[in-house]
Amino acid sequence: MSFEGKVIIVTGASRGIGRAIALKFGAEKAKIALNYCSNHQAAGETAKIITESGGEALLIQADISQRAECEKIVDHVVNKWNSVDVLVNNAGITRDGLLMSMQDSDWEKVITTNLEGTVFLSKAVLPYMMMQKKGRIINISSVSAENGRRGQASYSASKGAVNSFTKVLALEVAQKGITVNAIAPGMIETDMSDLVRGMASKQILAQIPIGRFGNPEEIAQLAMFLASDQASYITGQIIKIDGGITLGIGI
Amino acid sequence: MNKEELYNKVTSCLVEALGVDEEEVSIDSTLTGDLGAESIDFLDIVFRLEKTFGIKIPRGGLFPEHILSNPEYVKDGKVTPSGIEELRKNMPHLDIEKFAKDPNVNNFADLFTVETLVNYVASKLN
Repeated sequence: MSFEGKVIIVTGASRGIGRAIALKFGAEKAKIALNYCSNHQAAGETAKIITESGGEALLIQADISQRAECEKIVDHVVNKWNSVDVLVNNAGITRDGLLMSMQDSDWEKVITTNLEGTVFLSKAVLPYMMMQKKGRIINISSVSAENGRRGQASYSASKGAVNSFTKVLALEVAQKGITVNAIAPGMIETDMSDLVRGMASKQILAQIPIGRFGNPEEIAQLAMFLASDQASYITGQIIKIDGGITLGIGI
Repeated sequence: MNKEELYNKVTSCLVEALGVDEEEVSIDSTLTGDLGAESIDFLDIVFRLEKTFGIKIPRGGLFPEHILSNPEYVKDGKVTPSGIEELRKNMPHLDIEKFAKDPNVNNFADLFTVETLVNYVASKLN
């Protein structure tokens, strides 16, 4: 898989799965736009590793829950590198809580970040991908899209919508050489899942047939495959990568 | 830019966007009937025209998707009188009077020929 010189946008690239994906493409000498919202230091460290491994990195601070910021990211990338080959919509947040006590603003933040950020970034890159008759959009969803937990109404709804969006967009742009797929990770060792894993580590582990949590690099492997020419006939798919957690009945 | 240069550049955009051969394109080819354009191709054409000519085409400025997908303006597969009025107002580059004689939505795409695009771009460049 050669990504040398390819332009990749990764949102939420300072930590966790986004960071792992950015590093993986960086090691292949790609040009990577690292979007982050607030953690400048962590994003800077990711950029440094990419540069040291032979890739190019461009740091872009932007809050993707704002539509104008999504366009800003893409404008910035195209001004610098003139194209976009791969978009990885990875940035996501949780604001867990039972629906009845959920703040409206928390609901809104989750939907605007996880769903609308994905939608408007995709919209912004498509003209460029269409002009080059090739492109890859990879949405990081979650197994929670289908099998949520109590307290995750907003997160699950946002990811369920990302899955539907993935399928319809794939239909719309297939004939232009653009594929759109989603990766649905299970329980991965990241800061985001830290709280849940900390609280119920044993119980969750008992439900994972493979017997361990996933690591971000395993998600990055799949993202890179979906971005490659080898995956040219795969589109509109939601691919679970979850150690089998969604296979059993949980007892 | 003279009309021939303009036509040649528009043809290149169509060849790129639709994957047709240059020989298949003539000034009176219809985009859908003769050249096989589908809805996403119209967007593709718009982006390529914008880039090639350095012009800005507002969404819905060249192809009136927003009118033809509005239930207020389309009933039983036909564009309503208020829809026709809206088209007259927003699409001066199209022969709406010809369409008004049989305002079946499916006929609308026939109004778009290569010449329509050439004239539209010319009006933008002026």
